[in-house]
Amino acid sequence: MELKGKKGINHPITRRTTLKRLLQISGGMAVSALGGLPLNGPGSVWAESAKKGFIVEGLGEKEGYSLKALTRKVFDAAGGISRFISKGDVVVVKPNISWARRPDLAATTNPELMEGVIELCQEAGAKKVRIADNTIHDARRCFAITGAGAVAKKTGADLVHPRSSLMKEMNLRGHRLDVWPVFVPLVEADKVINLPVAKHHSLSILTLGLKSWIGAVGGRRYLLHQDIHQTIVDLAQFFKPTVTLIDATRVMTKNGPSGGSLSDVTIKNTLILSDDPVAADARASMLFGHRPEDIGFIRLGQKQGLGTYDLKSLDQKKVTL
Amino acid sequence: MKAKHLVRIRRISQALFLFLFLFLLIESRLPQDIYVDYSVAFSSEVDLRIDRPTTFFFQLDPLVWLTSLLSGHQLIKGFWWALILLLVTLLLGRVFCGFICPFGTIHHGVSWVRPALKGSRMVKANQKTPGQRIKYFLLITLLVGSFIGLNLTGLMDPISLLFRSLALAVIPGLGEGMKELFDWMAHSDIKIINLLSYGGEVLVSPIFGYGHLSFKTAWIIGLIFLVILFLNRIRPRFWCRILCPLGALLGIFSRLSILRLEKDKEKCTECRLCSKTCQGAASPMPGEDWENAECLMCFNCFDSCPEDALSFRFRWAPAFNRSPDMGRRAVLGGILSGISLPLLGRLDGQVHKVSDPRLIRPPGSLPEEDFLRLCQRCGLCMKVCPTNVINPTLGEAGMAGFWTPHLIMIQGYCEYTCTLCGSVCPTGAIKEISGKEKIERPIVIGLAYLDRGRCLPWSGNGPCIVCQEHCPTSPKAIYLREELVNRPDGRRVPVQLPYVDLKRCVGCGICENRCPVRGRPAIRVISAGESRSLKNRILL
Repeated sequence: MELKGKKGINHPITRRTTLKRLLQISGGMAVSALGGLPLNGPGSVWAESAKKGFIVEGLGEKEGYSLKALTRKVFDAAGGISRFISKGDVVVVKPNISWARRPDLAATTNPELMEGVIELCQEAGAKKVRIADNTIHDARRCFAITGAGAVAKKTGADLVHPRSSLMKEMNLRGHRLDVWPVFVPLVEADKVINLPVAKHHSLSILTLGLKSWIGAVGGRRYLLHQDIHQTIVDLAQFFKPTVTLIDATRVMTKNGPSGGSLSDVTIKNTLILSDDPVAADARASMLFGHRPEDIGFIRLGQKQGLGTYDLKSLDQKKVTL
Repeated sequence: MKAKHLVRIRRISQALFLFLFLFLLIESRLPQDIYVDYSVAFSSEVDLRIDRPTTFFFQLDPLVWLTSLLSGHQLIKGFWWALILLLVTLLLGRVFCGFICPFGTIHHGVSWVRPALKGSRMVKANQKTPGQRIKYFLLITLLVGSFIGLNLTGLMDPISLLFRSLALAVIPGLGEGMKELFDWMAHSDIKIINLLSYGGEVLVSPIFGYGHLSFKTAWIIGLIFLVILFLNRIRPRFWCRILCPLGALLGIFSRLSILRLEKDKEKCTECRLCSKTCQGAASPMPGEDWENAECLMCFNCFDSCPEDALSFRFRWAPAFNRSPDMGRRAVLGGILSGISLPLLGRLDGQVHKVSDPRLIRPPGSLPEEDFLRLCQRCGLCMKVCPTNVINPTLGEAGMAGFWTPHLIMIQGYCEYTCTLCGSVCPTGAIKEISGKEKIERPIVIGLAYLDRGRCLPWSGNGPCIVCQEHCPTSPKAIYLREELVNRPDGRRVPVQLPYVDLKRCVGCGICENRCPVRGRPAIRVISAGESRSLKNRILL
């Protein structure tokens, strides 16, 4: 049986400016670049070198600090945004906006942070920035209530509606997952920035960067819970982001992943940026008082070569504001 | 004014009101402006509202006003529009039918684009028939029924019928067709076709919906709509002449109309062009008695008369027009059926005795008896629902509640903070509530119950927790306990088992919707425990 999704990849679609404009005008999403991508996901930056990875932790200490300034500082400490985003790139920012919850309830990525990152990408000369997440609640309500819609409007980024025709079946080549519908903008992008929020989860203990890729697939994803740690790692080895920036400005410590009450939320004023997805999650897990190796998908991620939770082996930096 | 101008004005007015109706119908959806300023969102949960007068045509409809007053003893929002319309009808006759009614315009258009009959056969078809009394029978049935306590108006009211047919059958049907086409195009090998499919989808989705819409019994609704349109082949505006209860009501009110058809028998050459073009079979020809209650005020006869034998004039002297030809049988039959239907409707016991577990009403719905007194079955709540969970009933609410809204959790779920359905209900059968009322739980639409035999962890078939993960309340109504469970291979392994705390559950149904056990999920919401009904209470 031939896979439906394969066709789209073997016969890539070229960019058409006119159509893109049409798509923009109609206020929806724009799909353009199916151009020349390999079957195993977007090209990753660290595949090209055996360089030492880095991890940067940003802490907002002052009262009323600017989150955007902190975002910039964190990226500067890692060598500046232009190290990751080149001129003309199509960048997809993958926040976690799964739940129609207002931003302070910590179920979704902080919109101010999202705005800061998109602005940095635009400064670096990105041709197009898209916000893409396959939400759990009704997408349009999520866009409105989490603030993602406002960010898109303010920055001019495209907000991609996770419609069914944008889910294409691809072979993930994981241990547990093979053919699965994938949210195409994420595999079509030149660069992907994973922008998860750090929060509690009742089965996987925490929702962080690696688990955020559940929002990059469609289909019957409620089956993934039956072997949650392995499926998270399977997804994470498919969707390798250029860089992971974990939002721990405020974290949900209980009632995850949906929360719903301010009593579930603790303020941490922390950002974690790393090119090693396992390391980023490992550092974030410590904010919750866990040891990284106690979290199944972090342990498994290191074992299967996705990264390391031995933070000492990385170039560690810390910035404050 | 010249007849030609009058007809032109009528056509413009019909087109404008039809356009307005369609526009408001399409706008009855989750607001498209999703770019809410999040500094507002920070301070409070946002109650999204549609800032368009989506219920305007229902407010304008005197039948909706009158039956909700008789039956629910309530004046609906904006009812004074209906009073204005009645006043206008008192003065000018059934101008609503000729100038405003979108359903009438559709019939008019269908009859006009391709007339079913020609020449003398059309003249014959436009003669008044006893069948035109049926609409009075229906009107009296609906009014008496409403008075006794069962409001079936929405089944026959033209505004409700048209809204329901378009919103639940025509638009989803066309949308489904386009979606199939786009999906086929998206999988095509030709690039330009791929791109066109994306572009097309972006353009049509705001109107035809983002996913695959489905409404239970929509095929019946669509079929009835097609049949009613087809009836125009038998007689022009068949519905308006013979079936429309609103037309009957307006016909009765036109008794005092001062705008009257004046006939000049001297000039008439009996060419019968007036009868040929008459939309209402209102006997316009000189020599016949003009049936003002049947006249749709289309001014076709005035326009078509080559001899100027006909004209519409204001006659200020107070006098009754010809009384509507109802016929004694229609009146008596209407009263009898109006009395019997509400009583028959209770015989299945839904109101007083039993409650179907699947009858989950939208949040804010009145207690069942009051609900049936007000619900118009118009489908507005079903149209606005962002998750497509609200569907028309078939048998869940009994015969009396046919096509009233209920929630089917395997089709969608009730969004935790969404309160759109109550905000658009034209008669208040679903009260307008705030998201806070749902969160703080005075409003509960049902309760979730676990089916341990089906549940994956409970039956020893593996870990899951999907229901608990999706549970939107805080603290969660579905909680987990780690316990030892026998696996199929005999091993006893620890696994997290879901339990439901009925005191926290709001009945939103997202657990049922997302349960991996499809079709008949392992956790299901039933109406037992809903807050609107004291009879359905479970917990003390």
